[in-house]
Amino acid sequence: MAQQSASGPNVVQVKGLGPGFWQVTAVLTVLSLINAWYFLFGSIDWMMPGSAHPVADSTYNIDGLFKFMAVFGNAIMIFVGGYVIYFAIVFRARASDPPDTIGVQIHDAPKLEFWWVVLPTLLLIVLTWISIVVWYKIQFGPAVPALTTEVVGHQFYFEYRYPGLKTSVFSKTEPMHLPVGVPVRILITSADVLHQFWVPEIRLKAAAVPGLVQNLNFTPLQVGTYDIVCSEFCGIDHSKMQGKMIIEPVAAFNTWLSGEKKAAAAAAASGAVDLTSGTADAGKALFTQKCSACHQIAPFDQKLVGPGLLHVTDDPAHPALVDGKPPTPANIAEILSKGYTGPIGAMPSAQANGLSAADIANLTAYLASLK
Amino acid sequence: MQTGQTSTHDTHDAHGAADHIHPPPEGFVAKYIFSLDHKVIGFQYFITALLMMMIAGSFAELIRLQLTDPKGAIMSNDTYNVMFSMHGTAMVWLMLIPMVTGALGNFVMPLQIGARDVAFPWLNMVSFWIFPVAAVILFSSLLFGGPHAGWTEYPPISLADGTAGALWCLAIFTIGISSTMTGLNFMVTIIKMRAPGMTWTRMPLFVWATFATALMNMFATVALSAAVGALFIEHVFNVPFFDATRGGSAVLYEHMFWFYSHPAVYIFIIPAFGIVSEVLPTFARKPIFGYKVIAFSSMAIALLSFTVWAHHMFPSGLAPWLQIPFMILTYAIGIPTGIKVFSWVATLWGGRIHYSTSMLYALGFLITFTFGGITGIFLASVPVDLHEHGTYFVVAHFHYVVGGGAVMGFLAAIPYWYPKATGRMMSERLGKLGFWLFFIGLNGTFLPMHWLGLEGMPRRYATYEYFAKAFPDAVFWNRFETAFSFLMVASVGLLVFNAIWSLRHGKIAGINPWGARTLEWTISSPPPYYNFKKIPQVYDRPYDFDKPLPYGNLDNQTEPFPEYGKVVMPVPTPAGA
Repeated sequence: MAQQSASGPNVVQVKGLGPGFWQVTAVLTVLSLINAWYFLFGSIDWMMPGSAHPVADSTYNIDGLFKFMAVFGNAIMIFVGGYVIYFAIVFRARASDPPDTIGVQIHDAPKLEFWWVVLPTLLLIVLTWISIVVWYKIQFGPAVPALTTEVVGHQFYFEYRYPGLKTSVFSKTEPMHLPVGVPVRILITSADVLHQFWVPEIRLKAAAVPGLVQNLNFTPLQVGTYDIVCSEFCGIDHSKMQGKMIIEPVAAFNTWLSGEKKAAAAAAASGAVDLTSGTADAGKALFTQKCSACHQIAPFDQKLVGPGLLHVTDDPAHPALVDGKPPTPANIAEILSKGYTGPIGAMPSAQANGLSAADIANLTAYLASLK
Repeated sequence: MQTGQTSTHDTHDAHGAADHIHPPPEGFVAKYIFSLDHKVIGFQYFITALLMMMIAGSFAELIRLQLTDPKGAIMSNDTYNVMFSMHGTAMVWLMLIPMVTGALGNFVMPLQIGARDVAFPWLNMVSFWIFPVAAVILFSSLLFGGPHAGWTEYPPISLADGTAGALWCLAIFTIGISSTMTGLNFMVTIIKMRAPGMTWTRMPLFVWATFATALMNMFATVALSAAVGALFIEHVFNVPFFDATRGGSAVLYEHMFWFYSHPAVYIFIIPAFGIVSEVLPTFARKPIFGYKVIAFSSMAIALLSFTVWAHHMFPSGLAPWLQIPFMILTYAIGIPTGIKVFSWVATLWGGRIHYSTSMLYALGFLITFTFGGITGIFLASVPVDLHEHGTYFVVAHFHYVVGGGAVMGFLAAIPYWYPKATGRMMSERLGKLGFWLFFIGLNGTFLPMHWLGLEGMPRRYATYEYFAKAFPDAVFWNRFETAFSFLMVASVGLLVFNAIWSLRHGKIAGINPWGARTLEWTISSPPPYYNFKKIPQVYDRPYDFDKPLPYGNLDNQTEPFPEYGKVVMPVPTPAGA
């Protein structure tokens, strides 16, 4: 590349859009159509698990969006990549070029630029619209889901709770059960650090954040057993934090649920509470361990997950407990023991929280001592 | 250091009564250690950042080796967690940002605007010297067990890191000071010190890119400093900003962190845009297509980059209604980016393309960066992100954008400006071999990660026994990735060898080996420490190859300066005045 000669540089002449431009464009178009055909009619199970037989309505919806983007996104990639390679070859410098040969001196092409702004913008507007429709179903779902369950992330397991039940399933080995064909809502929170609840076959995840409840809404469509994965780094055994979700026919689900209910009732009957034995100091320590993820010692309105408990026994704005009963130690102990589910939220039972009868007595003494 | 000098504002007036130049610095320390010369500082950044690249890259190779076995091949989960945390932290803050802003911005930008130095040379020196201090603080955290929670160090999990976590915060806070000062310095330099006649729309595109980057460095870094500052206070003084059990909010940290760290992605990528915008016209022998569109889209991206941070947090506890505006804004930032890519492709059309190493990297950039951009569109859609978030799909996406974008960009820049910096050419043969190793290695390493992620492999997994049961091919693909990743190691090794070997054995470069047209190619290689004997006059944009160079005052530029005392330099005192 020498300095320019006095007679001026030798400017390359290009006929039309260059040799072979339309042939190359035709090839790229055909490649894009093959890509579109593949994503619309081929099987993408090798990259999206269970795409051919959607496990939930969300699988179907999100895969639809994914395919839409793959059709157009890959087409853009094919055209950009194809033209880069084609231009690089056809407009290469030749050994026979005079030393000061330069390319076509154009700076702009307003019409072309107009279209390459407008078309992608339109595409993105359509994409935004479809995304919003799918997003609405996932975030808000049916107003009254047939089943609401809860998931609590722990280092390093998921805990599943069924609020309709006065107890919960609390286990590192037991799977989560869901009935097929019924709209479900899963409420998600964490007891310690950040986790994420993800079922790859359902395509949905939500972070388990301490002090915050998030929800996912979907309808399971396919009976089977699926992995639940933690996808937010949560510590040394993050990669072993794994659960199973069993999607089963409604009858089987109900059998399982009633079995759990009986077991819970039996457990509740065996644990009578002697409230006079509790001490407030022991209760205070327990509160920090067991309750403070969801409750603070603050006025009622300062909620984390549940209400603030500073004035649980003497709040003129809230003379009754959340279950409508007067704030006597016995009624506080009852909520601690059996848990609570209502419009304000859900609290796990003593069994789920790992509270003994003595713990309940201590906590009740502590809460009754707050003013 | 002399006192009582004219302000930097008078620099353009090369013929005024106040004309004088300081004699060149004497002695090794003043010349090479605590140098005030932007070119030497650029070198210092380059060498340090290259060293960091080798350290952080070796962490990456340890990560890859661990994943050749689903049970974890070479280290404990605990060590693995430290490795990926240090890899990310060192690559982002100690390699990418110092490399693209510190090294390239410092060396190239003042030459391209026809200035003798940056506006605040002393500040520039301090900015550089903060950087190795931050590196030492960061690596000293390894003595206390190292950070474990990834380059993001999300609380509450990161609170378990103790002293190592506090040192991590301190290191990031420190490097943030350096970034902010560099941002300020470059912003003032570009606004105040352009050669006469160089209007905004006559600036080279790399200068536009540096300006956009400086804005982001200046205004985004404070959010990061606040985030890691608060985290530091929580570590050391136990003030519960982020601990939910005591009334803090874990999500707050994520917001503050990403308010910086999304612009940070553009801090690395926009300089790469600028490099590609310089390299493509030079080697296609053609004006850049759509100069104004490329310049203004850099600014649009810089501004929009402040409004998209929460797309990193779609499943992480963002209010549902907030997800939609962030999705729309994220798509909006895709439009200027797409326009740039189309303009670069159009720049190739009708050119006379010379395949230098730089050009190969720029062409490779167009392919890999576009691919990374398109997977970004997938991630920006809230529902699809609910599947892809936190998986290897994300890892693949940002390694295409950062490795295939920012790194390919500065790998294009190194052979391009090396002749100007050293006076000798790098070996083209080694350079081209390095390109093919890097390009093939990058695609082989990161392409399979897309489907591993979609199939259900989360990132930051020290082991993947469960996943390998669900998806047995995972073992094969992980080994495949590890094998290809070593091609990139070989490429970086070649680069280092080439850079050292060519110092002595490279061909003599001359003033303008590439036939490029920006101002740095009108002065000798390497440039004298005052850069321009006379400040040039600029008449037009640099990219019109059919016209003579649009500069005046170029005569005798390359002859040695007869005596010092005739040229005004920016004043090298702490106060800058």
